[in-house]
Amino acid sequence: MRNLIYKEIKIALHPTAPLFLLLSALLLIPNYPYEVIFFYTCLAVFFHCLSGRENHDIEYSLLLPIQKKSIVQARFLFVILLQMIQVLVSIPFVFLRNYLIPEGNQAGMDANIALFGNVFFLMGIFNLIFFVLYYRNPDKVGKAFGISSIVFFTVMVILEALVFTVPFFRDQLNTRDPMYLSQKLIMLVVGVVLYVIFTGIAYRKSISTFEKLDF
Amino acid sequence: MSVLSVSGLSKSYPSFSLKNVSFELQEGAITGFIGRNGAGKTTTLKSLLNFVHPDKGEIQFFGQSFQEHEFEIKQKIGFVSGGISFYPKKKLRTITSVTKRFYPQWDEAAYKEYLKRFELDEDKVPDSLSAGMKVKYSLALALSHRAKLLLLDEPTSGLDPVSRDDLLDVFLDLVEENGVTILFSTHITSDLEKCAEEILYLRRGEIIGRGKLKEFQNQFVLCNFSKEQMTEPLKSYLAGYKREKEGFSALFYKDHLPEGNFDYYPADLESIMIHLEKGELA
Repeated sequence: MRNLIYKEIKIALHPTAPLFLLLSALLLIPNYPYEVIFFYTCLAVFFHCLSGRENHDIEYSLLLPIQKKSIVQARFLFVILLQMIQVLVSIPFVFLRNYLIPEGNQAGMDANIALFGNVFFLMGIFNLIFFVLYYRNPDKVGKAFGISSIVFFTVMVILEALVFTVPFFRDQLNTRDPMYLSQKLIMLVVGVVLYVIFTGIAYRKSISTFEKLDF
Repeated sequence: MSVLSVSGLSKSYPSFSLKNVSFELQEGAITGFIGRNGAGKTTTLKSLLNFVHPDKGEIQFFGQSFQEHEFEIKQKIGFVSGGISFYPKKKLRTITSVTKRFYPQWDEAAYKEYLKRFELDEDKVPDSLSAGMKVKYSLALALSHRAKLLLLDEPTSGLDPVSRDDLLDVFLDLVEENGVTILFSTHITSDLEKCAEEILYLRRGEIIGRGKLKEFQNQFVLCNFSKEQMTEPLKSYLAGYKREKEGFSALFYKDHLPEGNFDYYPADLESIMIHLEKGELA
């Protein structure tokens, strides 16, 4: 698996993947729907898979002395790694933003712990839809990305709408840390758990469909 | 123990079926796998490595089932499909640096030697290589992990005659010097006459001939006939026939010849293939 991850980084990596990590700096914008920043990582995942199609990455990988399912395992590990790095890189920007800008975010959820609950939930949804569709037919990666993006943004808009309409979201979650810390931590845990469940389902489904594909 | 044993391999598509393909490869021999385009050669080769899932059939490499020993078996084989199509913009050096990590028995000295022998520049990218050089790079990768069996899917297609001949010399050297076993699919039959010992002939998804190349060829003779001579009784003896500028040329099994004095002459592989295919279509 270590060699496959090395392959993902050394030859399969699309240059936008590391570049988009830097877009965590968008957290410094005072008023912005911060969940969008994490969509860029999903975009990088799409470019990575698209570039894989153009470079015949699956055909190359199939020739290697590995099991077929290892190709899917490596791709999932790489994507989870990328998403975790994105979260880690964004944390200092959250602190910096809140240090520099005392006002809350007028365009959506504040840059706080609950925001990361939303982010994990959204990334989990993206993984679930994108990878299940992608591994049904890796040549139609654009279709997988189109559908998963629509769902991502729809859910994101609903989450942002909750911030303006539902008192619990508006008055407790959409506040500066460490106010209502326990509620925000619950939100974070729920997001992480859903991320794990959705990504786990996507992984199992992807392995099963990919095994059946002919090349 | 045979290097590769295939038994009852079948795969159905809506417009094509691979039917009960069975054969064995003996160690240290070049086996030519012939058949016209669309006969099922690539499907067969891909089925061997599970790129295509066969409907049924048993495949064993080195006496081991591929399903159960995929990792070990892939260490011992090299699959070359008409040169590389992957990572066309990456330097060969980079592709190699990734690929070799997967092979514990990678022989760097042998790799350098093959680069030198094939005149490959590691700073080039696959896109800038000729078709022949791409095949040679694939071979260098396969041979540097000490592949004992090479599955070559039309490696000489699209190459000029000199490059083809060069490549055939390489195959002969590999068998003589390294004892490598080669299964070599092609529709260019003259290539096989130069280097193959054994032959597998696939027509419309079915093996219709296998064994020693010379013995296969010696089963047949050719003869030319005028239009008037091509009578219905004569046709019942034919293995195949095709039109010529004047009359017909006909292929017969040596043990099933018509009565009468005709001028028979030996059949080469290309003639056998053309006559069998055309005769079937007629």
